Parts: sequence; C-alpha cells; structure tokens
Amino acid sequence: KPHRFTEVFQALQRLHMTIFSQSVSPCGKFLAAGNNYGQIAIFSLSAALSSEAKEESKKPVVTFQAHDGPVYSMVSTDRHLLSAGDGEVKAWLWAEMLKKGCKELWHRQPPYRTSLEVPEINALLLVPKENSLILAGGDCQLHTMDLETGTFTRVLRGHTDYIHCLALRERSPEVLSGGEDGAVRLWDLRTAKEVQTIEVYKHEECSRPHNGRWIGCLATDSDWMVCGGGPALTLWHLRSSTPTTVFPIRAPQKHVTFYQDLILSAGQGRCVNQWQLSGELKAQVPGSSPGLLSLSLNQQPAAPECKVLTAAGNSCRVDVFTNLGYRAFSLSF
Amino acid sequence: MLSTLSQCEFSMGKTLLVYDMNLREMENYEKIYKEIECSIAGAHEKIAECKKQILQAKRIRKNRQEYDALAKVIQHHPDRHETLKELEALGKELEHLSHIKESVEDKLELRRKQFHVLLSTIHELQQTLENDEKLSEVEDAQEASMETDPKP
Repeated sequence: KPHRFTEVFQALQRLHMTIFSQSVSPCGKFLAAGNNYGQIAIFSLSAALSSEAKEESKKPVVTFQAHDGPVYSMVSTDRHLLSAGDGEVKAWLWAEMLKKGCKELWHRQPPYRTSLEVPEINALLLVPKENSLILAGGDCQLHTMDLETGTFTRVLRGHTDYIHCLALRERSPEVLSGGEDGAVRLWDLRTAKEVQTIEVYKHEECSRPHNGRWIGCLATDSDWMVCGGGPALTLWHLRSSTPTTVFPIRAPQKHVTFYQDLILSAGQGRCVNQWQLSGELKAQVPGSSPGLLSLSLNQQPAAPECKVLTAAGNSCRVDVFTNLGYRAFSLSF
Repeated sequence: MLSTLSQCEFSMGKTLLVYDMNLREMENYEKIYKEIECSIAGAHEKIAECKKQILQAKRIRKNRQEYDALAKVIQHHPDRHETLKELEALGKELEHLSHIKESVEDKLELRRKQFHVLLSTIHELQQTLENDEKLSEVEDAQEASMETDPKP
C-alpha cells in the first residue's frame, strides 16, 4: 500500500512540475534540469541519443533535492554546476553528482539589504574573463561573486524592480540585465556603472501595455540585443539604442538566444520559434509542454554527437531536438 | 577404367577452374571494396567541407540581414544632405532676421533720442515762457504799486 501511495504522489508531482532551468555538463554528455520542487535531475544525453537507447535512457540517471525552493537558474563551469533559486547559490561537482547522495561543495548568499526576506535569485551569469559569477533577482541588484575566493565584489544598483534575466557582452565586457521595471540596463564591469539604459516599453514599435512592461528574456550578440516579455520580441542595435526588427508573435517570450544566423525563442505556447534577423518566421516546431521556459544548446566541443537543442517548461519533460526541424524525443523526470 | 580415369581428370580440371575463378572473384571483390571505402572517405571529406561552407554562408546571411535591419532604420531618418541644406537655410534666415532686429532697434534708439531732444526743448520753452510770464507779472505789479503810491 505505501508503495502505491508514493507512486501516486510521484505521478501527481510530475503532473504539477515546472522545469525552470537547464545546464549542460562540461563534457557535453549530460544535461541537468532544475524544477519547481527544488530537485535537480541529471540526464545522460549520450545514452538517450545512442542507437541502443531504451525507455529507461530517457529517465534521469540521478535526481536529488538541491534547494528548498525552485531552482530558477543553473550554469556550468568547467568542473562545477552552479544552481540558484531561493536566495542561495550552491555549487556541485559534475564528477560527483552521478553518484547517489551527492552533497553540495559550497553555498553562498549575496549580501542582502534586509535579512528578513531572502529574495529569490532569478538569473546566474558566468564571466569567464574575471572568473566571477553574477547573480540577480528579487532584490533588484546585480551581485558579482569571485569564484575563486567566494567574496562578493560588487553590487550594481539601478533597477527599480526585480531582475529576470542577464546576458554577457563578451567584447566590452558588459553585462545586460532586464527585469520587471521594463528597462534593459548595460553595466560596465570595470567601472561598475550603468552605461546605457533602454526603456523598451517607451518605444511605440514594440510596447504592448496590455501585457505589461516586464522583460522576461534577453540575449546579446556583440552589437545586437534581442529582448522580449511583456513588450514584443524585438531586435535592438545597441550602440544607437534603436529597435530594428519587431518579431510578429503575440505570446510573451520567456527565453531567447542567438544561434548561427537565427534567433531562437520560446515562451507561452508549445513551439520553439526560429526567426531570421529580418523578422521572418523560419520555422515553428512544437514541443511537448504547453509552455516553455528555457532553451539549451549543447555546443560543447567534447561531444559533437550530443549536439542538440533541449527545451523545457511547464511540464516534467525536456524535449530534445537533434535537428532544429522536429522534436526527436523527450526526456522526463 | 580409362573412361573412369578420364572422368576423374575432367571433374578435377573443372574443380581447379572453379577454384581459380573463385580466387579471381575474391580479388575483384576486394578491389571493389577498397574503391568503395575510398569513395566513402571522399564523401565524408566533402560533407565536412560543405558543412564549413554552410557555416560561412550562414555567417554571411546573418551579416547581410543585420545590415538590412540597420539600413531600414537609417532610411526612416531624412537624408543628411537635405537636413544640412535645411539647416543652412534656417541659419541664413536667422541671420537675416537678426539683422532686421538690429536695424529696428537702432531706429528705435534714434527715435527715442529725437523724442528726448524734442521733449527737453519743449520743456525749456515752457520754462522760458513761464519765466517771461512771471517777469511780466512782476513788472505789472510794480507798475500798479507805483501808480497807487503817488508823490510822497
């Protein structure tokens, strides 16, 4: 009887699961997924993609409870997986995670202004040039943490509401952040100052007041930036702060990324959308979740056979696209 | 007995020939197999080459689209020459108008000064006339008092 009870409980859990974040292992063969229950599951991409894959290959190799709250964001360094959600960032060793009973290497909490409420961390960003991690979320600030010493080196203030997403502009190096206040802010890391502000909702071409002004997703490609959310998904030329292309999709987009000569986006709605920079919709490929929250492209050079796009969102499944044209199969918690 | 011997010779000859044939077939197949392997390797290389070309072409397409996107925005803004011309024309108008303003102001100054001269002259004249009147009054009064006050 207790066995059946746990089965029912697990089935219910899967029904109400939302996967918020994904991260590919440095070797490229594994994919970590973080959900709203605070669990992280590690899937073996190489096993699921191999010709002898069975149904069990699409299940996680290991699942463990990582955080007390949802795992909103994850990134991987060359040896660690960093996960964050409920105000803390934790580090896990990739090599150790596949064994059961894995413990976190360390956990840190940025210096928050009030110790009463611990704000959630919505986004993590690695800055390889200075070996640091940037965290942003509910306290409307960007915190930089040195990965070697674990000390918090800077606080970037300017947003007036919580921050949803971060992007790195490698050349400068600059960080872009977007959030509830509807502004995309560019920060110069050397001077720790805000160098440019784009108030997306103030531009007629892309503002959609009925959706709100929140910026849900952000991506940058040196001189260009694409962002979406409440306002329409728009391509911006950064230096002149002008919106050049508005992508004609009504549904708010929750994740966007540049890939080769395309822009991939996903959000409310089943499909992964592929756009040309000219604004044309090249393809819309449906996934298995009613809405998508994160896309991950496995471009790790060590595993070219695992070069796939994975999409996850409002379900317990992670869709795997081996070719951008169709969904090959889905992994599931 | 001779016929059995010759039959045996015949079948042995046949088997030898078949054996030769099989050997040569094997050689042939080996040759074909190697050729196919070579062409597979060649095809792999071509595929890799084509993949590189695709990436390059995608990069070019992306650059072209970025250019187009910016060009569209730039087109919306008016032509630089026209704007410069308009600016020049406006500048000239501004100069012209300020000249007019200067000349009008000068004229105003001049008129003001002329009026001032006029008014002060009038005032002087008034003063002179008043003085004259006063003098004549005094004279009249003196005359009157001399008449009423005869020889002592």
